[in-house]
Amino acid sequence: MTTLSGKVNIVSDLQAAKKAQARLMDKIIALGYGEGPAFAIKLALEEGINNAIKHGNGFDASKSVEIAYNMSHQEVAITITDQGCGFDPGAVPDPTTDENLEKPCGRGIMLMRAYMDEVRFNEQGNQVFLLKRNIPDTCGISEDTS
Amino acid sequence: MKRPDKFELNVHKGSTAVVLKLRGSAGMGEADTLRAKLEELAETRTPVIILDLTDMDFISSAGLGAIIFGHLKSRHHRGEIRLVNPQPEVRRLLETTRLTKLFPIYVTVEQAIA
Repeated sequence: MTTLSGKVNIVSDLQAAKKAQARLMDKIIALGYGEGPAFAIKLALEEGINNAIKHGNGFDASKSVEIAYNMSHQEVAITITDQGCGFDPGAVPDPTTDENLEKPCGRGIMLMRAYMDEVRFNEQGNQVFLLKRNIPDTCGISEDTS
Repeated sequence: MKRPDKFELNVHKGSTAVVLKLRGSAGMGEADTLRAKLEELAETRTPVIILDLTDMDFISSAGLGAIIFGHLKSRHHRGEIRLVNPQPEVRRLLETTRLTKLFPIYVTVEQAIA
């Protein structure tokens, strides 16, 4: 069984994030993940890194984002850590309610939770753990979105 | 999942609507381009902006935010944004976020213009 693990550190820059995301997605696709799971992982990875750069590090070039991964044919686990003060994920409003539908921001956490099998934040709120199991022929969305 | 194509945005101006044909991935690196184009169209009071999503294989919350931004700008002059033919994963994303309530989805560009 092939297992890949490692860590990537990137500066707080969206282009650096895109390159790191693309490299990780190449590995995931090479492991045989289908359209649905690959879409879900790409989405969660993007939302997690984007949040880390934008909200965590505030685009501060002196701060970095660490992306740790452990992936196999069975599952992909990714931990994204920023150097910000953290936040309370429970305080983020539900973007799917009628009053929030027209807000351009605030969907990242909801999407991570909807598309991944596990999403956990550390107590400080500056680290998110993402897990996706590779179940063939299913869509990207998990059954349990809580 | 194949590696996504580079993001492309092609503009086709018609007499009653402007069609933006999007291709590839509309994520954090591309959202600003989409947002700027939608803002430009809104400022010229384009009554109907049609986003043809046929060849778009990925969109994140940043891309969705750009479309919502365009929607809010367009609404100032009673303009609107219509979506055409999102691929299954993109359509599911629109449904998951309930943005299908905000944006009508059409099968073809012709139906969206009519």
